[in-house]
Amino acid sequence: MSNKGVTVLLSMVLVLALLLSACTVAAPAGAPAAQTQPPAAEAAPSIKIGLVTDVGRVNDRSFNQSAWEGVVQAAQQLGLKEGEDYKYIETQDSKDYADNIQQFIDAGFNVIVTVGFALGEATIAAAKENPDIYFIGVDQFQTEVLPNLTGLVFHEDQSGFLAGALAAQLSKTGIIAAVLGTDLVPPVVAFKEGYEAGARYINPDIRIISTYHPGEIAQAFTDPEWGAATAKQALDQGADVIFGAGGITGNGALQEVASAPGAGTDVFCIGVDTDQWETLPAARPCLVSSAMKMITPSVTELILKYANEGVMTAGNYFGGAALAPFHDFEDKIPQEVKDKLAEIAAALEDGSLSTGYGQ
Amino acid sequence: MQRTLRVTSYIAIALVVFFVLMAFLVNLTPLSENTWLRVFFSVSALNFTLRASVPLILGALCGILCERTGIINIGIEGMMLAGAFAAFVAKTSTNHWPLMPSLLFGVAIALLVGGLMGLLHAIFSIRYRMDQIISGTVLIILAGGVSAYLFDRNAVAQGKFGAVAIPGLSQIPVLGEVLFTNPPLTYTALILVVVIHIGLFYTRWGLRSRACGEHPRAADTVGVNVNRFRYMNTVLGGMLAGLAGGFLVLEAVGQFQEGMTAGRGFISLAAMIFGNWMPFGAMGAALLFGYTQALQNELLLAGVTTVPRQFVSMIPYVVTIVAVSGFVGRVRPPAAEGKVYETEGESE
Amino acid sequence: MSLSTLRRIGYMVLIPTLAVFSALLLGAIVMWIFGDDPLAAYRGLWTGAFGSPRAWSTTIRKMTPLILTGLSVAVAFKAGLFNIGASGQFLIGSVCSVAVGVNFEGLPAFVHLPLALLAGVAGGVAWGFIPGVLKVFTGAHEVIVTIMLNYVASLFAAWTVYAGGTQGQTPGPLWDRTAGAISRTPEVFMSARLPWIVPEPYRIHWGVAIALLMALIMWWIIFKTTLGFSTRTVGANSKAARYAGINVRWITILTMMIAGGLAGMAGAIETLGLNHRFAPEFTGGVGFQGITVALLGQTNPIGVVLAAFLLGALEAGAARMQFDSGVAADIIQVIQALVLAFVAAPLIIRQIYRIRKPSDQIEATVVSTGWGR
Repeated sequence: MSNKGVTVLLSMVLVLALLLSACTVAAPAGAPAAQTQPPAAEAAPSIKIGLVTDVGRVNDRSFNQSAWEGVVQAAQQLGLKEGEDYKYIETQDSKDYADNIQQFIDAGFNVIVTVGFALGEATIAAAKENPDIYFIGVDQFQTEVLPNLTGLVFHEDQSGFLAGALAAQLSKTGIIAAVLGTDLVPPVVAFKEGYEAGARYINPDIRIISTYHPGEIAQAFTDPEWGAATAKQALDQGADVIFGAGGITGNGALQEVASAPGAGTDVFCIGVDTDQWETLPAARPCLVSSAMKMITPSVTELILKYANEGVMTAGNYFGGAALAPFHDFEDKIPQEVKDKLAEIAAALEDGSLSTGYGQ
Repeated sequence: MQRTLRVTSYIAIALVVFFVLMAFLVNLTPLSENTWLRVFFSVSALNFTLRASVPLILGALCGILCERTGIINIGIEGMMLAGAFAAFVAKTSTNHWPLMPSLLFGVAIALLVGGLMGLLHAIFSIRYRMDQIISGTVLIILAGGVSAYLFDRNAVAQGKFGAVAIPGLSQIPVLGEVLFTNPPLTYTALILVVVIHIGLFYTRWGLRSRACGEHPRAADTVGVNVNRFRYMNTVLGGMLAGLAGGFLVLEAVGQFQEGMTAGRGFISLAAMIFGNWMPFGAMGAALLFGYTQALQNELLLAGVTTVPRQFVSMIPYVVTIVAVSGFVGRVRPPAAEGKVYETEGESE
Repeated sequence: MSLSTLRRIGYMVLIPTLAVFSALLLGAIVMWIFGDDPLAAYRGLWTGAFGSPRAWSTTIRKMTPLILTGLSVAVAFKAGLFNIGASGQFLIGSVCSVAVGVNFEGLPAFVHLPLALLAGVAGGVAWGFIPGVLKVFTGAHEVIVTIMLNYVASLFAAWTVYAGGTQGQTPGPLWDRTAGAISRTPEVFMSARLPWIVPEPYRIHWGVAIALLMALIMWWIIFKTTLGFSTRTVGANSKAARYAGINVRWITILTMMIAGGLAGMAGAIETLGLNHRFAPEFTGGVGFQGITVALLGQTNPIGVVLAAFLLGALEAGAARMQFDSGVAADIIQVIQALVLAFVAAPLIIRQIYRIRKPSDQIEATVVSTGWGR
């Protein structure tokens, strides 16, 4: 009985405390938007950078994170303050894209980075409505040019091609695999097509087993167990190089290979998007390289260009796409493999070699 | 009822024999040249099946323990997720320990938190007479919210359980590779099926538990403390679901991810019902589901079909629907499920 | 009105109010423990949900589909059926309404729009019919079947907009041919769109009116018609219903069809009113939330509207909360779970606040009758 009494007393105290504090904040609560915004907006035309993630987290060890790091690097060079001059919103549901962008517009942000191909439409709509705000859409190919919107896109097929060429040269079994996000997202398809073309370029008879995540798009990039189980399945079928391309799903595949017997000597893995040696240390035992797209430096570059020169890059901007360094595998990879990769990279660069994707 | 059960068992045994035979044939003879046979019976498909089934088996066992004593548990998904998150937190905070103790600590914490979720479910539904479906839903939402809110996305778990080959048995061709070269929690799940079957049907505890689910009044009359049994078994069930979460983090993936249970709790529920609230039945259902998933992946990996992949991916779900409406017939849940039990004269 | 009636009504208002309050309080404690500022968070939540006309419009927009999916789950509960399938029915509804919306160019709006809406409803009805019929004629449990159909629906929906794979598959039938590699449908014709009540930037469409109307209709059907009476009897005790001469099989199938139709309508309204197209990133998440709404609203259509409003407001405020205070929006989910727990177990609230029950007639909500029949 006394036990109950204590509970009641405790809850009463808490209720009282909350009521009191609610009273004290009641006054400013009415007009918080007006309170924070005007001073910043009326001061010298400063830069405020907002980033809207795709469904997922800002530190997803994948493309959201790369884009955010690009923002952070630009902001640091400009001497901005985190949380005030630059911040992010993590999208919870795909229906919220427009609302989240609007959140930044309302708060007076003048550079807005939206990450992921799915935000394309919402970004275009917002850019048309707000010609004074500079938008950067990562992975959003623009079919029509808006003066204040950059579609930051990449030749994923080219870095995929290099990854495939590397995989085919490393493979001893003649079987390589790819564990992929979803074909509902074009960049993933580009990686896959490039990978397969690159592998066939080295060895026309190579067997490539690859599969996309079977589920809906919301799950395709966040299902590490499927990625891991599928990587195991590929290993069981004799694949000895596995390309994990699909956010956290792909990460699951990489880690599975890293903990498989023979990791780093008989079986290898190749990461995606960023240099996953840095972002996913757990994959290091097998990670020979990553098929990168340089989101971070490109975002930084575009923002700085606007901040320093006032230039909004219109239309599409192609960021770099390349293989990541080999790190600990530097010595284990034969020189002729490296030479071949350099030769292919050069040929892709000058256009004498085509990946065959998108034709 | 008895006859259906016997027929089902015969079918199950025949299927097992058929699969073992085909697995030997396809993996050891020139039949392995045939892509379609490989899709259906290769070692990789069988390995995938077992691996995909483990969390479903544990989840379904959780459901069986709760429901056999009369507590409906649709919150398996939440218990599993809580267990997974707990295992991850435990593992990351003991990364500096040697690998094995750290992993086992993760398992212990997963069991503990799963058990606590079970206790919460029991308190809600017994002490506070909350509708048990609502209570289960609360657990699911709560686990999803709390694990996402507290998830430190910079934390990295180092290492996971590796395969342990059982000496001797693992040398058997094909079978050794599929059944006797697995990580520890997989063996645990399979052993638990047997343990719980024996427990439920051949011990006093089992008899009493089932009595609480079928006819609590009668159980009470002969001196069984109905609500104590319900508390105990719901907590035990929660621990099993927690273990399923621990499997995902400590054995399957090695990391945590929000919502990583991805509906496995619900599919466990389906496996439990499909298996007619029997441990072996549920295991069979879980294996069937795991197999159809393996099949779907094999088909896509082999690239043998030009059917749009979405239709290939429907296989597990359509097979389940056909199976529950086709040959299972009407299953019979414990009679007193979902009803609050009050002893005579007890009221507020 | 007698004093005891007044006390009963007071009780029925008091408990949910205290439940919401206690959940917010407990949520605040959790935030405080983990180093977040609960006051800043709730201020942001309030601003995001009610702080401006735009915030109100977001709340209304979020509430609309939740009313319908909540009704869908609630109606099924009334007949003792657990419809976990609202999210699948929602997706099928979306896809079917788009299929009509992107075809039949030149139809006048007063034909095209109702046709598209009806197509969505029909899709949902069909998707609800399957578990109903399977349950009645084969004994397949509706929980299993609806869960499985959710997966099938999301895959089917994704296929209809599929841009075509890399292994030579044909693209899906609704794919927008001008979109290149992007999987999505074209936008539906103007004549098939739900008009705005309040246009951009507020984006409130007539769907909210339809949803509220449906809540009224469902209330009338459930409590004022023979069909509703039969449904409730089946839900309370299917054996007794059978003895009373009610066709339990027919009621089961019909209820699942109505439930499916409501969720399908939610999908159609979201699509024709707001998104104007279907793309694979649209999920049936509101279908699963419909379970919470239905339970929170104690399966009563009016309660469902209130619950949908509450959940809509929480969802609407979440983004602003994170933006202003830096508190992760996931805390909203924790609060939702707590509200649900407290509403469903009034005993907890009564113990904490020492409230006496006015009469024995009011008991905790019972929605389920177990897996059995």
